[in-house]
Amino acid sequence: MSDLSVVGASVRRSDMRAKVTGAAQYAGDVRLPGMLHAKMKRCAVAHARIARIDVSKAKALPGVKAVLTHHDVPRVLHFGSPHPRSASLAKDQYILDDKVRYWGEGVAAVAATSEEIAEEALDLIEVEYEPLPAAITLDQAMAPGAPRIHDVAPKGNHVIEPVRVVRGDVAKGFAEADVVIEGVYEMGRPTPAYMEPNVCLCQWDVEGKLTVWISTQTAFMVRGILAEVLGLPLNKVRVICDHMGGGFGAKQDLFQTEFLCALLARETRRPVRLEFTRKETFLGGRSRHPCRVWLKQGFKKDGTITARQAKAVYNSGAYASHGPGVTSVGTFALTSLYRCDNVLLEGECIYTNAPIAGAFRGYGVTQTYYALDIQMDEAAERLGMDPAELKLKNAVREGDLSPSGHPIVGHGLEDCVKHGVQLVSWKDLRNRKKGSGIKRRGWGMGCEMHGSSAYPGIKEQGNAIVKLNEDGTATLFTGTAGLGTGAHTALAQIVAEELGFTFEQVSVVHGDTDVVPWDIGAFASHTTYMGGKAAQLAAAEAKKQLLERAGDRLEVSPKDLEVKDGVIAVRGVPAKSMTVREAMLPTRGQPSPHIVATGTYTPTKSYSFAAHFVEVEVDTETGQIEVLQVIPVHELGRIIHPVAAAGQIEGGIQQGIGHTLTEDYMIDEKTGRSLNPSFVDYKMPLSMDMPPIRTVMLETAPDPGGPFGAKGVGEDPIIAVGPAIANAVYDAIGVRFRHYPITPEQVLQALSAK
Amino acid sequence: MKRAVSFIVNGERLELELDPFRSLLDALRNEAGLTGTKKGCDVGDCGACTVILNGKPVNSCLVLGVEAQDARIETVEGLQAADGALHPLQENFLKLGGAQCGFCTPGFLMMAKALLDENPHPTEEEIRFGIAGNICRCTGYTRIVEAIQAAAKEMRRE
Amino acid sequence: MKRFDYLEPRLLEEAIALLQQHGAALNVLAGGTDLLVEIKEQIRAPAYVMSLGRLPGLDRLAFDEREGLRIGALVTTRALETHPAVNRHYPGLAQALRELGSIQVRNRATLAGNICRASPSADTLPPLIADGAAVTLHGPQGARRVPLEEFFTGPGKTVLASAELLTEIVVPPPAPHTGKHYIKHGRRKAMELATVGVAVCLTVDGERCADVRISLGAVAPTPMRAKAAEKVLLGKPLQPSLVEEAAEAAVSESRPISNVRGSAQYRTQMVRVLTRRALEEARRRAAA
Repeated sequence: MSDLSVVGASVRRSDMRAKVTGAAQYAGDVRLPGMLHAKMKRCAVAHARIARIDVSKAKALPGVKAVLTHHDVPRVLHFGSPHPRSASLAKDQYILDDKVRYWGEGVAAVAATSEEIAEEALDLIEVEYEPLPAAITLDQAMAPGAPRIHDVAPKGNHVIEPVRVVRGDVAKGFAEADVVIEGVYEMGRPTPAYMEPNVCLCQWDVEGKLTVWISTQTAFMVRGILAEVLGLPLNKVRVICDHMGGGFGAKQDLFQTEFLCALLARETRRPVRLEFTRKETFLGGRSRHPCRVWLKQGFKKDGTITARQAKAVYNSGAYASHGPGVTSVGTFALTSLYRCDNVLLEGECIYTNAPIAGAFRGYGVTQTYYALDIQMDEAAERLGMDPAELKLKNAVREGDLSPSGHPIVGHGLEDCVKHGVQLVSWKDLRNRKKGSGIKRRGWGMGCEMHGSSAYPGIKEQGNAIVKLNEDGTATLFTGTAGLGTGAHTALAQIVAEELGFTFEQVSVVHGDTDVVPWDIGAFASHTTYMGGKAAQLAAAEAKKQLLERAGDRLEVSPKDLEVKDGVIAVRGVPAKSMTVREAMLPTRGQPSPHIVATGTYTPTKSYSFAAHFVEVEVDTETGQIEVLQVIPVHELGRIIHPVAAAGQIEGGIQQGIGHTLTEDYMIDEKTGRSLNPSFVDYKMPLSMDMPPIRTVMLETAPDPGGPFGAKGVGEDPIIAVGPAIANAVYDAIGVRFRHYPITPEQVLQALSAK
Repeated sequence: MKRAVSFIVNGERLELELDPFRSLLDALRNEAGLTGTKKGCDVGDCGACTVILNGKPVNSCLVLGVEAQDARIETVEGLQAADGALHPLQENFLKLGGAQCGFCTPGFLMMAKALLDENPHPTEEEIRFGIAGNICRCTGYTRIVEAIQAAAKEMRRE
Repeated sequence: MKRFDYLEPRLLEEAIALLQQHGAALNVLAGGTDLLVEIKEQIRAPAYVMSLGRLPGLDRLAFDEREGLRIGALVTTRALETHPAVNRHYPGLAQALRELGSIQVRNRATLAGNICRASPSADTLPPLIADGAAVTLHGPQGARRVPLEEFFTGPGKTVLASAELLTEIVVPPPAPHTGKHYIKHGRRKAMELATVGVAVCLTVDGERCADVRISLGAVAPTPMRAKAAEKVLLGKPLQPSLVEEAAEAAVSESRPISNVRGSAQYRTQMVRVLTRRALEEARRRAAA
C-alpha cells in the first residue's frame, strides 16, 4: 500500500547506530563511583526449610559491605510479576523466604567491593536446610497427598482455580461426528536464553529517592512493586531502561535481585550492581511452562469440526509468575484458530519444585496450538483429506468470535494458507513420490493466530505524549520498552506519518519512568498495536493544534490544510503553504505555541495470523532431523517497518526450531538439580543449523484498532513453526510425534517400532 | 597482586593496573571504560565478547588481561572511521536488519571483520561457518549473513 | 573468577621447577579455553596459574614428508586447522579441528591443552590416536615419549606426572593409499561436545585392508582403539558386509554412559552407524 510515505518503509532505526558502534548503553554498562558488586547465594535443594543461616564469616571477609538473609528483609508477599490490572494473579513470593522451593532459589545476597570478593563471601555463608518432601514433576505434584508447595494455593498445588470455557454442547457435537480423534501432547521446557543476562543497579540519593537501572520489559511494574514492597511513594522511585538485550517475555518479572540490590544499596549507602551469570539466567530466570494437553475433536466426513474438548495442564515451577495468564490465554486459544461451535476446555496450572516458568513469547498458546495443529494433521489423514484443505475449511474468519470475545477482522488465516499453498506448490508436494533412501524429506504446514494485546486478561493502557519544538521538530515520549524489536522506530514512523512530517523530524524519548508517560510494558505483541495507536492519537491531537496555528497564520480554516514532508499547504493550492518550522517559530509579538498533546489507548484486541511451510530431512540411521527451509506466510494488517517485521518472524523461527528439536532445560527428576544451565548444553540453533527462510508478509486484514491498521507479529512465528516441523517429519517418515523436543533417539526408537 | 599491563586498543596505548585473574573482557569494560564489548556468558560459549587480538578473533572472556601485554586489540569502538563514517559492516548490519536487540552485535561485527580480513570472498557457507561461535537470539541469522555478504561486496569494490 | 597468582616462567626448567614447588596448587595455562572456564565454574581453584606463553620454542609447527607433523605445546588448534599439510595429510584431524568449539576458541585453544584436558569426548583425540600420534613429556628427570593411546588413564586423567609438562605432539608421516576420516556426532553443527566420535585411518592394498586404526571418543572413560573392529578388517577384502561386521565389533567394545547429552543405548547405535560411515569414507579417500 503506497498511500503512506513513512509507514511501510524500512527507515534507519533510531537505536541502530548506537548498537553497531558499541555506544548503546545497556543496564550492565552503567558505572557509578563507589559501586559495589552483589552476588546471590543459591540453594542446592529442591524443597527445604532454612533451619539456620549464618553470615558472620561472610560479613567478616575484608571487602564485604553488607549481607542480607530472610531475617533482614521486609516480609511482604508479592506477585513476582505484578500486572496490576491483570484478571488473574497469584501472590506467592517473598523477597527472601525461610523456605526454598526450587533448586537454585536465592537465600542470601552479598555486596562487596569486587565480584571476586562477593563470590568468596558466598562460600562463607553457612546454611542448614531441613529438606522437605519434594514434588518435582507434574505427576508428583498432582498426586493425592502430594507435598504442598504453597500455603496460599487455592487447593493442593493449584496456582489458580482451574480455567473452564464452555461454548455450545460438546456431547451433542461428538455425537454428530463421523470421526473422533483423541491424543495427549507433551510440551517440554525451552527457555528464552536472551543474550543479555539479567542485571540491575540501584542507587539512593540523599532525599531517599531510589534510581534503578535495569534490563526489563516492564519498567513501570518494577517501579510499582519496588515502591509497594519497600514502602515508598511512586515519585521516589525512578526506573531507567535504555537499551535491552532481549527479553522475549521473560524480563517482565522481578527476580528477588531487584529488591535485594535496593536494600543493599540503602544499607551501604553506595550504588549496588547485580548481574546474573549465564548459569543464573537459567537457574533464576523464567522458562516456558512445560505442558500436557489432552485433546479430543470430532469431525464430520467433510472435515467440519463438530466438537472440541481439551484439558491443558501447565507446569508453573516453584512460583506462579505468569502461570495464571499463560493458563488462561493458552486455554482460551483453543476456542479458535479452527472454528468450532461446541467446546469444553479446562486449563490448570500446577506448582512443582522446579525452575520457575514465566512469560515467554507465545504465552501458553505455543503449547496448545502445537497440540491442535498436529491433531488437525492427524485428522486430515483419517478423513483422507489434504491437511491444508482441512485447515482452510475450518479456518477462523471474519465475524467469528475470537478467544478475547471480539469478532475477527478479515480472513487473515485463509489468506496465509492460500498464499502459502500456491507459493510452495503444496498440491504437487503432496503428490510427489516419496524417497526410500536413508535420508527422507518431508513437507509440513503449521498455522496459528495470536492477539496483539493482553486483553481481556489485562486491561492494558498505552500512553504517549507528542511535543512540538519551536523549530517544527517533534518529540515523542513513550513508555514502551525497547526490547530490541525496533518498536521505538515504528512509533516514530507512525507519529511522522500522522503528523505529515519526515521521519527525521521525529525523535523518541523512552526508558525513564520519571519522564515518560505510564506504560504497561512491552509484551503481548502490543507495542505497535497499543503503543503505536496511543502515539498516533497524540500525534493527531498535536497536528490539530499545529493546523490551528498555521490556519491563523495563513488565514484559512485548519480544515483546508494538509501536511506532507513537513510542509503545511492548503489542499489543492500548493503555493499557499508554510513549513512546519515557519508555523512554529515565534513571530513579532507572538510566542511559539506550546503544543504538547497526549494520547491514551485502551485496546481491545486484534489478531495476526500465520501459516508456515517447512521442509525437513530425516536421517533414518541417526534419527537426526534437519530443517531444510521455512516459508513463513504472515498476515499483519499493516507493516510499519518491513525489515523489523521480517526480523521478528525469522528470530521467532529460530526459537521455534529450537523448541521443537533441540532445546530443553532439563532437571533431575529425583533431586530437582538443573542439568544443563549453560549455552553448551542448552542447545539453540546456531548459524550453521538455521535453514534459509523466505519470509512473506501480507496486509490483507488490517485492523482499525491498530495504527494504520497494523497488528502485532512478535509471537506468531514461534507458534506456527513447531507444528509445521512435526507435521513435516510425519510426511517424511510416517511417524507421528506429539511432543517437543523431538530427539534423534526418539526418532530411531519410533522407526524401529514401526 | 595487581600488575601494570599495557596494550594498544583501537590504535591507542592503554596502561592499566590489573589483577591477574581479571579477564581482558572485564579489563576493557571496567578498567578501560570500553563497554561496547558485551558479556553474554563469560565462558566462551556465545561470542558476544569477541575482539580481535593481534589480528585474530578471540573470546575476550577467556583471555586474561595480563596475557594481552603488548598486544594490538581491536574492539567495536574502533570499527568506524576517525570521521565517524560507519564501516561497511556496521552500515549493512544497521540497514539490512542484522541487529535487533544489538547485544550480540559487537561480537558479530568483530568476528565478521576478522573473517573478511582473512577472506574477502566468502561463500554463504564460509560465512555461516565463520560465525558459528556467535549466538544471536533475535534475528535467526538470515539478515546477519546478508549484511556480511553485502559488506564484503562493498569492501571488494573499494 | 576465584583469585589466583600468575606466574610466567621464561625457561622450561623454571616451569618444571615451579610445577614441583607448587604441585596441585598450580595449574598450567596455555590457551585458557578449558582452564579459565573451569576456574569460573568453580571446578578448579588453583592458587597459582602458570602461563607457558613465554617459554621459547613451544609454538613451532612443522611438517616433513619423512618426520611427519611436529606440533609444539603452544600451537593453537586454529593454526593447525588452517595448515595446508594438516588438511592434505591428516584430514581426520583437520575435520575434528574444524568442529572444535568456534574459531574464536580455536584461536586460543592449543592441541596440547585439548590432550591434557583428557576429556573422553575431546574431538582431536580419536583422529590423533588413529594416526598413531605420540607426545613428548618433559619433567625433572628429562624427556620421555608416550604413544597417545597410552596417555589417558581415565576421564580428565593422564600419565602426566605432577611435575611434567607436555611439550610436543608428533604424528607419523602419511602412508600411501591411506584414507582418514573423523565423524563427530552431536545435536547441532558447531559449539558442540561429541556424543560419539569415530576416527578411522585406513590403508588399502587394492581391495584389501592392509592396515587400519579405528579410534572412538565419548564412549568410554578415555578415547579408545576399537581393536576388535580392526581385527575384523585386517588383511581382508573390504566387502560391505565386513565393514558392517567391524562396526558391530566396535559396538561390543564401546562402553558409553548415559548423560544429559545422550543415552548409552543411543550412543551405542551411533557407534554402529558412524563406524560404518567413517570406514566407507576413509576407503573412498584411500582409493582416490
